[in-house]
Amino acid sequence: MTRIRRPSLTILTAVASLWALPALAQRQVEITLTATPARMALIPGATTEIFTYNGQFPGPTLELREGDRVTIHFRNELPEPTTVHWHGLHLPFKADGSPFHPVGPGETYDYVFTIRPGTAGTYWYHPHPHHRTGYQIAKGLYGAIVVRAADDPLKSIPEKVIVISDNRFTADGAIDLPASLSPQGTIDQENGREGDVIFVNGKVMPTLTIRAGEVQRWRVINASAARVYRLALPGHKLLHVGNDGGLFERPVEVDEIVVANAERVELLVRATGAPGSTSVFQSLPYDRYIPQTRPPQWNEPRDLLTLQYSHEPAVASVRIPTKLRTIPVLDTAQSTAKRVMVLTQGMINGRMMDAARVDVSAPLDATEIWEVENLVGMDHPFHLHGFQFQVLDRNGVREPFRSWKDVVNVPKHGSARFIVRYASYSGKWMFHCHILDHEDHGMMGILEVKPSQLTKRN
Amino acid sequence: MSSSRIASRFAGLLVILSGVAVVALSDGRWTTDEASASEMVDPSVMRGRALTMHHGCGDCHGGMHPAGAGWLAGWRDSTQTFIMGPFKTYPRNLTPDNMTGMGRFSERQIFNALRYGLRPGETPDVEITSNTPGQGNFPVNPKYLAPPMPWPAFRHMPDQELRDIAAYLKRGLKPVSNRVMDSEGPPDFWRSAYTVEKIGPYPAAAYPTAQEVAGH
Repeated sequence: MTRIRRPSLTILTAVASLWALPALAQRQVEITLTATPARMALIPGATTEIFTYNGQFPGPTLELREGDRVTIHFRNELPEPTTVHWHGLHLPFKADGSPFHPVGPGETYDYVFTIRPGTAGTYWYHPHPHHRTGYQIAKGLYGAIVVRAADDPLKSIPEKVIVISDNRFTADGAIDLPASLSPQGTIDQENGREGDVIFVNGKVMPTLTIRAGEVQRWRVINASAARVYRLALPGHKLLHVGNDGGLFERPVEVDEIVVANAERVELLVRATGAPGSTSVFQSLPYDRYIPQTRPPQWNEPRDLLTLQYSHEPAVASVRIPTKLRTIPVLDTAQSTAKRVMVLTQGMINGRMMDAARVDVSAPLDATEIWEVENLVGMDHPFHLHGFQFQVLDRNGVREPFRSWKDVVNVPKHGSARFIVRYASYSGKWMFHCHILDHEDHGMMGILEVKPSQLTKRN
Repeated sequence: MSSSRIASRFAGLLVILSGVAVVALSDGRWTTDEASASEMVDPSVMRGRALTMHHGCGDCHGGMHPAGAGWLAGWRDSTQTFIMGPFKTYPRNLTPDNMTGMGRFSERQIFNALRYGLRPGETPDVEITSNTPGQGNFPVNPKYLAPPMPWPAFRHMPDQELRDIAAYLKRGLKPVSNRVMDSEGPPDFWRSAYTVEKIGPYPAAAYPTAQEVAGH
C-alpha cells in the first residue's frame, strides 16, 4: 500500500497493489476529514467565526470513482456533537451520518462505504445532528462530492464544481442566527433561513473564465438552508444533462433550471458569446414562499458569478452525444406498498421526528411508491436517505423523463409521487424536508428497512 | 371532554339501534331510501349542517345554502375576496378533499381552528387545554386564520357545537377539488391582531361586566 499525503486536501489515496489484482482491483480511498472552528474573512471588513472541514470553507471537494472502497477518517474538533451525512450516496446505515450516529467533541468515526456502479454524479456532504443541522451548515460545514464513471460520455469536457449557498451576518461580521421567537427568528422558522449574501464556492461573485466556443460542464449544488435558485445565464441556452443521481438518458436544452435545497444539477454551458465579453450567471425570482412571510425582495434576480470570456479566438465546439446513458426502469407494477406522506408546516403525517419511533417499515429490496402531499402554501423539498428514487409525477403531471433523485421539491399545495427500491442496505433511514429549519424543527421521519428472514439466517 | 365523548358514543349507539329499527320495521311504512339514509346519519353531522347554515358559513366559503353550487367549496371569484388593509384573503375550501380541502385534517384540528383560530396546516393535531402560548399544547408561536373568519366569536360556542361543525365538514360533505390561493397576511400570522386586549378573553369575562346589567 502506498500512501500519498496531500496536505492541501488531506486526502490519502491508497491504491491497492494494482499489479497484484489486475482489472478487478477495487481502488481503496482513504480520506481524512476534520471539523474544526476557524476564523475567516468571508465578507469585506470583518472576520467571522465559522466551522470548517480541514480548515477550508467550503470543505474540500471529494473526488471518487464508481467502485471505490472509501474510508473517511473523521475527527470532530468542534465544541458540540456532529455527524457527516454523504448526501445522496447509496451506502450502509452506519456510514450514513444520520442523527443515529453522533460523533461527540474530540471523537473520531470511520465512514466506510463502496461507491456503487451506476451512481456517478454530483453529491455533497454536510452535518446531520438532530436540531443542529441548520446551525452547523450555517457555520460553514459543507462540501462537494464528485463521483465519476469510467465510461462517462462527457469525460473530455472541462468541469467546474459550483457550490451555492447563502448566509446572513450581523454588523460585527458574526453569522446572524436570531433567537427563535424574535420577529426574524419566526420568519426564519417559517421560510427557512435565507441570507442576503450568496456564496459560490465560498466567494461572493467569483469569476469563472471560459473561451469562446468552449463547452464546460458545471456541477451545481444548492447547499442553502432554504433559498431556491432558478439558474439562468442570460444570452445562453443551457444544456441540462443531469441532476441528483448523475446523467440523464438524453440532454435537454433549457433557458433556466430550478435547483431546490440539496438538489444538484449538471449542465453544459456552450460559450456562444464573443471573446472578451462577460455574462452573469443568475438566479431568477422563484416564488416558493407562503404570502405571509414572502421576503420583500423575492422578485429580484440575484447574481451568482461572472463568466468572463478570454480574449483568445473562438475554438470549435465539441459535439455533445445525444444519448448519455441508460437509466434502469423502476416498474410501478412491482410496487408492494404505497406510502402517503402528508406535509404540514413542521410535520409529516401530523408528527414530529422521534428517534424512538419507526414511521415506515419495509423489507429489504421492496419496491414502493411514495405519495407526498404538501398541504402548506410553500414548497417543501423532500429528501429520502439511503436510496435514490425516480419521480413519477408532480401535481399529477407525469415527469417528462426518467432520472435518479434523492430530493423532490413538492410544490405548494401540491403533490409528488416517486418510486423507490430499498436495495442492498437495511437500517433506519431518515426522510425529511430539506429546508433546514423545518428539518431541525422535526419535519422528519424514519423508514426502517428490515433484512428478510433469509438474510437474517445467513 | 370525556362526558361529551361518552355522549357522542351514546349518540352513535342510538344510530345503530335506529338502523336496526329500520330493518325491523321495513314493512312498507319506511320505504324510501332517503328516509333510511337520514336515519343512519350521525346526529352530530345533522346538527353541524344546521350550524353551518345559521352561522352563514356559505356566505364567504361558497354556495349560500346546502343545495347551492359550490357549497362550502371555497373561493371561486373576486366577489369572495376580502381586502384586509394591504392584504387579500380568500375563503378556504371546507369540503373534505384531501389536497385542496379539509380531507387531511382531523375533526380535532377543525375544532382547534374554530375554538382557537389556529391554522390546521401549521398546528399539531393535539388536544389544546390552554390559551397561553407554550402551555397546554397551545403553540409557542400561534399562527391564526386570516380575517374576516369570525373565530373570535365562534370560539364561544359550546364544545359539542364546534365538534358538530367539524363532523359535518368532514363527514357530511362530498369532497370538491378546488385549490384556493393562500390568504395574504402579516408575517406574524395575525398574532398582533388577536390579542386578549383586542378580542377579549376566552372563556368570556364573568357576567355582568361593567357594560352589562343582570337581566331579569
